Formats: sequence, C-alpha cells, structure tokens
Amino acid sequence: MKLTESLSFRNVTGRPGRSAALVILTFLMAVSVVCGTLTVTSLRTGLGALEARLGADIMTVPASAVSKQNFENIVMQGSKGYFYMDRSYYDKAAEREGIEKISFQLYLASASAGCCSVPLQIIGYDPETDFTVSPWIRKSAGRELGDLDVVVGNDLSVFVGSTITFYGVECNVAAKLDKTGTDLDTAVYTNLNTIKKLIASSVELGMNEFTDIDPDRVVSCILIKVADGYPVDEVLNDLNLHVRRTKSFRTKDMISGVSDSLTGVSDIVGVLMCAVWLLGLAVLFLAFRMSVNERKKEFAVLRIAGASKKKLAGIVMSEALMITLAGAAVGIIIGLLMMISFNGLIEESTGLPFLLPDGGAVALCAVFALAVSVIGGMISAVWTAGRISRIDAGVILRGEN
Amino acid sequence: MKILKQRWAGIVLTALSLFLTIGVKTVFAACGPKEDGSWMACHWAEQAVFASGIVLSCISVMILLISDEKVRLGLSLAVIPAAAVTALIPGVFSGLCMMTNMHCHTVTRPSVTVISVLIAAAALVDVIIKLRSRKGGSR
Repeated sequence: MKLTESLSFRNVTGRPGRSAALVILTFLMAVSVVCGTLTVTSLRTGLGALEARLGADIMTVPASAVSKQNFENIVMQGSKGYFYMDRSYYDKAAEREGIEKISFQLYLASASAGCCSVPLQIIGYDPETDFTVSPWIRKSAGRELGDLDVVVGNDLSVFVGSTITFYGVECNVAAKLDKTGTDLDTAVYTNLNTIKKLIASSVELGMNEFTDIDPDRVVSCILIKVADGYPVDEVLNDLNLHVRRTKSFRTKDMISGVSDSLTGVSDIVGVLMCAVWLLGLAVLFLAFRMSVNERKKEFAVLRIAGASKKKLAGIVMSEALMITLAGAAVGIIIGLLMMISFNGLIEESTGLPFLLPDGGAVALCAVFALAVSVIGGMISAVWTAGRISRIDAGVILRGEN
Repeated sequence: MKILKQRWAGIVLTALSLFLTIGVKTVFAACGPKEDGSWMACHWAEQAVFASGIVLSCISVMILLISDEKVRLGLSLAVIPAAAVTALIPGVFSGLCMMTNMHCHTVTRPSVTVISVLIAAAALVDVIIKLRSRKGGSR
C-alpha cells in the first residue's frame, strides 16, 4: 500500500491545521537542537584554531605603549594598532634562561585597504626565527615568502596572485591563511624586509604616529617558547623582572578569558536547548493526547471493524512519526541554512572564536538533531498509543466514556 | 479559509519579496559610503538586489491577484530562477567589500541568500501542489 493511501497519512492530511501546529512544534525543537549543537561545536573548533595559531607561550610588549587589555584587543579582537620598542630588549630577553625559541614581530596598521575605508593589521615576522605563523604560511603558500609578498587572513576578499597596496607600496598576495574564526582572519602577514619597507614608507608619508623610528632597530612584540623542564610562570616572572620597560603575558591567560566566555555561552546555549526541548516534548505529549481523545469514537469503530490493538497503536505511532519527521527535516534544513549563512554575524556579535566545523561534523550534528527530535516526538506519543490500544469500544460508542 | 488555501503562495511570496526589497535598503542594507563620500563595492550589489526585489514583488502581487490558474502556475515557475539569481547577486554577480567581517558579508549577503532561498522554496512548493492538483483533476 502506498504511503499516501494509508490511514495515518489521511489522518494527518485530513486535519491540516492540527498537523501544521504539531509540525511547527517539532520544527522548533529541531531548529533549537541543530543550532545549539552547531554553536557549541563551532565555539570549541574556533578556540582550538586560535590556540594553534598563537603558538608562543609568552608574548612580550613595550610596557609604556600598551596595557594588557590593549594588547589582548589587538591579538584577540582585531583592534588595529602598533607600538615599537628598541631591538635591544629582544637581545636581553634572548639571554634569559629557560627559553627554547624566541622570535619577534613588527606591527603596522594600514591607512586603507584599497577598496574599503577600514584599516588592516599588518604583521611582519622574521622567517629565520619564527615558530608561530611560519608553519601556517608554509602550509598555505607552499613556500617561504619573498620580498613584497603578503599572506592574507581568510576574511579578506582578495585573490591569490592579485596585488594590494599599503602606503604606496604594491605587494603580491601569495596565499590566504586557513580560517580561525577570530579577528586574526583580517590580518596581513609579511616578512621582515617587506614590513620594514612599509614602516619606512608610512613614516615618509607622515602617516605613522612614530615619526623618528628606524625599522631596523625596533620590534613590536617578542614571542617566546619556553624550554622543556622550565615552568612558564617562572620564565614569565624572570622576564618581567629583568627585561625592564617591557610587559610579558602568558598566552594561555589571554585565551583563558575567551575560554571562560566560551564556557558561559556554551552553558547558556545548553540550558536554552534543554528548556525548548522539554517544553516541546510536554506540549507534543498533550497535543497527541488531545488529538487522540477527540477521535476516540473513530478508533472504537476501527476496533469493532476488526482492527487489532496493535494496529490502533501503530496508527498513532505512524502519525507521530510522519509529523515529527516532517517538522524535524524542515527544521534542520532551515537551522543549517541560518547557521551557515549567519556564522560571520555570530562571530562578530559574540566576539568569540567561532569556526564552523567541517562538513562531516555538520552532517553529524544534523543527524543528531533529527534523531533527538524524532525520538522525542515518538516518546511523547507512546503513552497515547498504549492508551488507545486498550480502549473498550463498547463503552466509548455507548457514550459512557 | 478557501481563499487562504488557494492564495497562500501569493501571500507568502508577496510578503517575502517585499521584505527583501525594503530590507535591502533598511535592516540589512550594505555598508555605508566611505569617508570621501564614494561608495564601496557592495553598494552596487545592494542596488541590484533592490531592483531584483522589485521584479519579484511585482510577480508575487500578480500571483496573488490573477485568478487564472495556468497564468499563476507560469508566474510561480518564473519566480524560482529569479529568486535563485537574486541569491547569487551579492558576492557572485556583484562583488562585496574586502573584509568578510564587514556588514555586507555578515548581514546583507546571508539575509539576501536566506530570503531568496525561502522565496524559491515557496514558489517550488506552490508549483508542485498546482501540478499535482492539475494531474489529479485531469484523471
């Protein structure tokens, strides 16, 4: 027998208003599950990508030029800014004990990025000593960067092979980095020679706040990887004590703020998801019960016509399956469409690393949401199905119940 | 109730098309002008979506008002490719700003995509229902 000819299907389509209300309810349950699960997964994926990109254990910056908050804003929130300290601080830090790898970066904020009036953060690294961004750049570009080559963050809509101009210096876009889900995705990375050229050009054009700096004699940020066997806190204290006029931060402390916020957001999403799900389950239970109560006489007639108890329960369960499956399928499609389309807006409005997982994980979330919604709907119909299978047809038709 | 059943597609399509047309100039408009007064690249995508939204709104109003079933079927069919093309305007047929964390990428493009997909889906469901009822009627 075709599905469209079955009694359950006719029952569902025969009362479009009631069925639509139940479909909308399961739709809302599926949307809340798929969006909630994807949000939590994306936040965790983003944090993982951010930890991997930052790389260093300790970051040292000039104390006078920047507070921890400002520096965090530049690294984590994508605020544009630059500050410099004498290169001798880098040499002093390199002499301290417990340092396995040490490198430095030079920062510069562009005045304009060609098409849009929004400045970009330009980060110059030393390819000879770098251990943080080089692995990412090699992975994306497939080679070391040449002079006047730049690697752009994933959020910049420029094509590999095109050119981009900063302070009158034309640079080649050599590669695009993988997405991190943070504002690091709007940064531009380049080697030391190029950033020095850009800084010199910005000074020449009178567009740099630091009018008398020699790009060969300054650094913006020192990146340190602590050697095995040395506690990071000990090396951090040593640097703060002996390399004066600088301020060192533990990278994990900066991420811990993000991690705390992420835990808070995940908890709220989890509670909301559970609340919507439990509420939906309760309403579905009542709706199925009321809808079957209304049709008691129909079921009693079916029973007298020879339908078994199992058959009656089967009709109720297949009605519930059709309704929950339809609602869940539409809910998952709409939920995925919203999450995939608006992930950039979520990233911007939460200020947290938000990176959608790969296709396989997204599909897994969809399957999970479908299973949870359909199983939830079926559970709420089980009691009603059991009750209808035990009806006394005679009593109901005599109108005594 | 009968009118609602017959004209649901016209009502839904008109509401969505008008939301797209008005929204692209208000709630999910593209980025504003630069400091020098010139427009960013995404402004022209906004203009194109606005024009396309007007066309979709006109077709949707016709679906709502015209009583000939065959004409309404043809108009619903026309909505599907028109909505699909509208969804592709920002970012594919017309460029957006450089940084994907800008308003045109985070708000305008996804809003236009979602509304256009919903318009195309509603028109597709309407076409399927109309074709099925025609098939059922001709038996």
